Amino acid sequence: MTVLTRTDDGIRVTFRCERCLGICEGMSEEERERMVTQAETVLDDATLVARSRDGDMQSYEALVRRYQGPMYRLALRMLGSSGDAEDAVQEVFLIVWRKLPQLQEDRAFVGWLYRTTTNRCLNVIRARRPQADVELDEHESTNTRTRPEHAAEVSEQMAALGQALTELTPEQRACWLLREVHGRSYDEIAQTLGTTTQAVRGRIARARAQLAEVMAPWR
Amino acid sequence: MAMNDADYMLPCGRDVETVWDRLTTVDAGAADEHDLSCPHCAATRDSLCALRSAVDELAAETVEPPSDLVGRIMSAVRADSRRRDMLPLPSQAPNEARISAQAIASVLRFAADTVEGVRARRCKVRQSGSPDSIEVELSIAVSYRGLAAGAYDLVRERVANAVAARIGVRLSRLDIVVADVFDA
Repeated sequence: MTVLTRTDDGIRVTFRCERCLGICEGMSEEERERMVTQAETVLDDATLVARSRDGDMQSYEALVRRYQGPMYRLALRMLGSSGDAEDAVQEVFLIVWRKLPQLQEDRAFVGWLYRTTTNRCLNVIRARRPQADVELDEHESTNTRTRPEHAAEVSEQMAALGQALTELTPEQRACWLLREVHGRSYDEIAQTLGTTTQAVRGRIARARAQLAEVMAPWR
Repeated sequence: MAMNDADYMLPCGRDVETVWDRLTTVDAGAADEHDLSCPHCAATRDSLCALRSAVDELAAETVEPPSDLVGRIMSAVRADSRRRDMLPLPSQAPNEARISAQAIASVLRFAADTVEGVRARRCKVRQSGSPDSIEVELSIAVSYRGLAAGAYDLVRERVANAVAARIGVRLSRLDIVVADVFDA
């Protein structure tokens, strides 16, 4: 008989029947066929979260693969340094793993992930405040050095936008990025920053006006 | 730096946010007299359009984290997790064999997943009265499109088979809880 092997590339989980240890017994050929087909479906977040809460690391790994990209991009724009962004994302996924049992609602996972990442970034920025100017310059250059291929692809407008973002306050930057780039709701952003939706709307409006001024040369 | 909303008031009396809110209206050709004639609004609108296209580019950005980040995260997660809830397996004294409840849970979730329209979610495993039997509470999500008739019995059967054939203990009790439905 055959065994079921599970491979997980982050997008889909595939079960392969090679040598069975019992599950396949008593199944018709058709049922086995369907089992393998069905196992190839992409599992939804809520299912992966529920399994992770039980301590299933494979499911958690699938969630990490699914969300490391957006969290990394958020952290990179918040912190302006790829090294700091990697550290922050690693820290966030460990914190989230530890606190999973406290999560009330499986569907709230992604919002919670954004909240944890945002707050982690704000803490990192607060901790480095005194030498912020020096650090930013330094990180900027490291960043271009390590990613030349990326730097070349970026349009002048976007480079200017990236630079202008660093001139916003960290809280404004967080609000603006979460809303305009990551499409999170005003309610969620307000919760994340411990403020009101009114205040979030105000911060985003001011950020937008400030950024638009920088865009003036391209109009 | 304290920022004041008045900083973003245009000389014509509209503020930047109003111009932003009206962008789609203007794009749709429903501009009002002021939109069309005011040079301040026109200049701001152009800046906002430039911003909008830069933002689209930023949102479509595909900078990926380094390829080893998942591995680093998972090593940290593994180092952080201790094997809890060890359950005894039938074995000859004095040689003791035990298995973690998590390992059993992943085998049983897997067995439940093989039923069409069923996805296992949480799986709590406890030792029941005797050392060679366990009690299981399995929560599942079911598809509201493709759930086969008799699916719950099939889940029960597959899980019971997996307990016997893959773990080597008896299943004294299995509670199945439908925790959710999914659309697939």
